[in-house]
Amino acid sequence: MSIQAVNSKKPKAPGHLSKGHRRTTFREIMKNRSLYIMLIPVVLYFILFQYKPMYGAVIAFKDFNPFVGVWDSKWVGFKHFISFFESYYFWRLLRNTVLLSVLNLVFAFPAAIILALLLNEVKNQIFKRVVQSISYLPHFISLVVVCGMIIDFLQPDGIINRMITAIGLVEEPISFLILPEWFRTIFVASGIWQGVGWSSIIFLAALSGINPSLYEAAVVDGAGRWKQMLNITLPGIMPTIVILLIINIGNFMVVGYDKIILLYNPATYETADVIGSFVYRRGVLEANYSFTAAVGLFNSVINFIMLILVNQVAKKKAETSLW
Amino acid sequence: MKSKRFKLSLILSLVLVLILSACSGSGGSGSTSNPAPAPSTQTPSTGEAPAQTPSENGLPIVSSPLKLKTWAVTDGNFRGKDYNEKVSFQKMQELTNIEIEWVMGSGANGPEAFNLLMASGQLPDMVWYSNMMSESSKYGALGAFVDLAPYIDQYAPNFKKILEENPDVARMITTPEGKIFHFPQINLDEYLHVQMFPQVRQDWLDKLGLAQPETTEDWYNVLKAFKTQDPNGNNQADEIPFVSVNLQNMMRNFGPAFGTDWEFYVKDGQVKFGPIEPEYKEALQYLNRLYSEGLIDPNYLVDTEFKFLTEKVTTDRAGAWVGWSGSYMTSFTDLMKDHPTFRIEGTVPPKGPNGTQRYGYHGWPVGNVGIAVSSQSKNIVEAVKWLDFQYSEEGILLNNFGVEGVSYDMVDGYPTFKDVVFNNPDGLSSTESLLSFTIGGGSWATIGDRRYQEQYDIEQAVEAKAKVSQYIDYSVSLPPLTFSAEQNDIIVPILADIRTFRDEYANAFVMGNRSFNDYDYFVEQIKKMGIDKVLEVYQSVYDEYMSRS
Repeated sequence: MSIQAVNSKKPKAPGHLSKGHRRTTFREIMKNRSLYIMLIPVVLYFILFQYKPMYGAVIAFKDFNPFVGVWDSKWVGFKHFISFFESYYFWRLLRNTVLLSVLNLVFAFPAAIILALLLNEVKNQIFKRVVQSISYLPHFISLVVVCGMIIDFLQPDGIINRMITAIGLVEEPISFLILPEWFRTIFVASGIWQGVGWSSIIFLAALSGINPSLYEAAVVDGAGRWKQMLNITLPGIMPTIVILLIINIGNFMVVGYDKIILLYNPATYETADVIGSFVYRRGVLEANYSFTAAVGLFNSVINFIMLILVNQVAKKKAETSLW
Repeated sequence: MKSKRFKLSLILSLVLVLILSACSGSGGSGSTSNPAPAPSTQTPSTGEAPAQTPSENGLPIVSSPLKLKTWAVTDGNFRGKDYNEKVSFQKMQELTNIEIEWVMGSGANGPEAFNLLMASGQLPDMVWYSNMMSESSKYGALGAFVDLAPYIDQYAPNFKKILEENPDVARMITTPEGKIFHFPQINLDEYLHVQMFPQVRQDWLDKLGLAQPETTEDWYNVLKAFKTQDPNGNNQADEIPFVSVNLQNMMRNFGPAFGTDWEFYVKDGQVKFGPIEPEYKEALQYLNRLYSEGLIDPNYLVDTEFKFLTEKVTTDRAGAWVGWSGSYMTSFTDLMKDHPTFRIEGTVPPKGPNGTQRYGYHGWPVGNVGIAVSSQSKNIVEAVKWLDFQYSEEGILLNNFGVEGVSYDMVDGYPTFKDVVFNNPDGLSSTESLLSFTIGGGSWATIGDRRYQEQYDIEQAVEAKAKVSQYIDYSVSLPPLTFSAEQNDIIVPILADIRTFRDEYANAFVMGNRSFNDYDYFVEQIKKMGIDKVLEVYQSVYDEYMSRS
């Protein structure tokens, strides 16, 4: 009752290749028509929900009035882009967004790989599963709850302050949440805690795909565990790492602003305010739709450029790429 | 062959279903791309008289039942599912023959939900919003809300009478172009103009043998005593002398003592923006002194929700705060009824070093709450009539007190709440209980009744309001102004930048994260961001407003 069953009843059509290319394509489609029919919903989904909304991006070049619609709103050219670039906050937003992204890539991305490698070396299956389960758990907690926990832990009378004052690390409790110099550490560290287990799954999957005979051969050649990891394990999962790196960089300018909104306050805007949170404040709270559409478009363009650049570099250097 | 055809038709029909559902889905979410109907140019004409002939008082408004959709934000204190569970609205439906279908706004906070509604471009018949006063003219100019002025003339006799008798109300809600975009909440009694006022743990003062603070220095001494002399008697210095959920709350209380205010105020007929004035620096320095000595909640920027403040009060740690009479004083007293001595009293606004004493946290004859009518509505006339009913004698009683015999009894002409309201058998707090019977005169397009608030307030609040209201100076506080669309285009983006900047710096000054040596830079930067352009607009609107008196 599968598609193959339908297809198998169709006789193969050899000998038509010499005829016109168009004809071949048509025949090809007719031959697999049920597959193409099944493709329609997916294509429709992309057109309706991914491409059609892009049309709304034109409000970045207009003074959008929801009550006359996108089309009838007044064109204003690059007014909103200029006012964003000239804004007092432009450089700070850019700096914070880029810094948080870089820190995430530098610390959070390798953390998942390291965890996967470590777990791979663990021989005790029970211990391995327990560690895995514990490290996945935070991923399943709602972000709002996670941020509530972070805030509770970091209060002046919270558990972290109690611990560091008890062991004499500091004299007075630190008000982590109102000191701008602490924000990046909190953001990245809690991000690792939240995501490291979950992100390591894909690497573990890649690890299990490495041919065991390679290890056997290495042992015969006298390679220790460290050498095995460097020469077999890492190269084995390198394509996965590169692809994930490219995908991560494609979201380079999209810092998890929902988490930032839950954690920041005016005292930490200095290091915490990113393009995403700025767009939220201006767009949703203050209803400047056109201005924030311009900011969002600027953000997307940068992302797009980054993605292409990294993909090109990966293609040249690592011989792995998205396309 | 047969089964193959069957399978194919099955696949085809599945695809069809998917296409159909995708289309309908996009119709809802992608509505921004469909040009919305042009703003209604429909104005009432005499020929358009309603079909039915209503009785003398205009009730019922329609002869056959009519449904009007009204948008609202969920109110945390209301325990029911639907506002139609309130007896006041049930009675209203009976009288007017108009049923309200509530459209509840999504999103955690009001502005977010409201802005999302507006961005969709699709509005129900009426929009009820807690900050309509500052939004209605902006969206009115965009064509979202209908200009009510001509309708009021013709279909709203009660409201028209109020406007004629209270020119202040009229000029506050009329735009410079002479348009009216919403029906406001109205407070005609000065008692209701007292909003948030300073409150202090009187039993702590008594225990430490202190008098109620009057000057800013008194406040310092009292808070210091709260901090150091263990008024809650648990042998721990866990008291938080002054609790607050934001800086605005503190500045609106202490700022006037130094001759300034959180944002805009008037000095000798000139509109001023507090942060760029030297008095603002003095006020921040005073708060910085309190903060650095641990007299202000060190966590006020993190614990920004009312529940945190409630927790600090009910765990017997908070000594003083600036709050409302009902949701603060009455609720806290309810929650702490098992405490042997717990007693809150209100104090006068603090008097500054130069003897300035002003209560700046007051309301105006027109509140922020209001209801606007969508220009897309097909029943504008009926909506206007229904809204006008809210200002009739009967409507005012319903909105403030609920239904006679159910939630209140008329005792010698004084609508007295029945026991079921304030000693609720189901264990609801007084606020929750009250709101299960009525919408409340302070949060609806109606006239707030002093007798409603008096019964809701505890004795100390009634006393405090009488004290505090003497310090209201309507010539210093900036009245609520309505701006034209062009004026909004100028001031909204500039103020958005300035407010972020002000929040950041002012809080840093108070917390000592930034030295007051940077204050000149702070002022200069606000000027660079264009505060003068904003002040110019404010001044012209204010002058025009004053000339209309």
